[in-house]
Amino acid sequence: MQEFKNLKDLPEQDYFTGGSSACAGCGPSMELKLALKALGPDTLVVNASGCMTLLPLYPNTPLKVSWIHNAIENAASTAAGARHGLDMLGEKDMNVVVFAGDGATYDIGFASLSAAATKNERIIYICYNNQSYGNTGFQWSTATPYGCETKTTPRGKDNPIGTTDVHKDMMKIMGAHRVYAATASLAYPVDFLNKLVRAKERGGFSYIEILGTCNTGWNFDPRLTVKVSRLAVQCGMWPLYEIDKGLLTLNKDFQELKPIDEFVKIQGRYRALPQEGVEKLQALINEHWAQLKEYNGQRYV
Amino acid sequence: MREEELPYKGIEGIPIIKEPGSASKVNRGSWRLVRPVYDREKCTKCKICFTYCPDAAINWTPEGPEINLKSCKGCMICVEECPTDAMTEEKEGT
Repeated sequence: MQEFKNLKDLPEQDYFTGGSSACAGCGPSMELKLALKALGPDTLVVNASGCMTLLPLYPNTPLKVSWIHNAIENAASTAAGARHGLDMLGEKDMNVVVFAGDGATYDIGFASLSAAATKNERIIYICYNNQSYGNTGFQWSTATPYGCETKTTPRGKDNPIGTTDVHKDMMKIMGAHRVYAATASLAYPVDFLNKLVRAKERGGFSYIEILGTCNTGWNFDPRLTVKVSRLAVQCGMWPLYEIDKGLLTLNKDFQELKPIDEFVKIQGRYRALPQEGVEKLQALINEHWAQLKEYNGQRYV
Repeated sequence: MREEELPYKGIEGIPIIKEPGSASKVNRGSWRLVRPVYDREKCTKCKICFTYCPDAAINWTPEGPEINLKSCKGCMICVEECPTDAMTEEKEGT
């Protein structure tokens, strides 16, 4: 399958229809729709419990592909089992794709993900990262960035920052498994679909992490979903890069990053973050960005 | 495997959804407070609205985008992202 050049080049066929129970302006459902464009009809989606579990609600489904729902811990194991089963039935062209949230990837399902990656099972693992447990009401997860307010890390007199911990660097962890790991954003759909094509061509385990922009959790107007995702990339909050067998490639390079203020001020989850918190967040982003620039084209992990 | 060979065939309580994409018949238009209005004159057929619609409510035809108001939840991403203002918003009930 060839890589796509621009938006007009993307397939017109959708394997996802409207009428689901996702929120208006939902980022992850847009990402699932885009992913299925690249993967095609011969796809089995394995879903760990999360927001996207509520898409196929009996008796209706918005999907035109197969779908397995399983517990939050073992999406990667289920996918690996399904892969072996399909291989034995001779269905070698069928794609097995995991679609799991950041809670199921970073925290609860991490053991099965790590095992599947170590064994280099031929599956594509897509993590839609909305930086919290969004389905249960926006609680803290290990993907929540510094300075973000969640239900379990509220801002108050004692703690004006909210989340004081720095989120886990999952890309580095997955890169260290010697597999294909990449970040993507819904604001750059051509880049996202090309990464899926590359993952499919490459075979073996692939980990793609996409920013699951969540307007209800992050507290902004649903019409800004794409704008917020684009700002996340331009501010360096969500840099687009890939790690293939330890080698780092920066896909979207900027001469100068936009100040993080622009990203912070349009979202309710950063409301009332003190100036010192914004400065610390900027410092963390600058440090990560400088590291990516330094190792671009070289061995990263 | 054919449907009649499935091991759980005939067991009650196991839900099987037989029609792919059956949710497209569900009316989510009632969620909407504002609706997108398309102007064919201004459209350059860039496919931005079609790509960014989270509910696949915009179908692509050779003449350009076609809005399915049954699936549109009124998030207004298409209005915000349209580079030529071919998509505008209108309040529901007017």
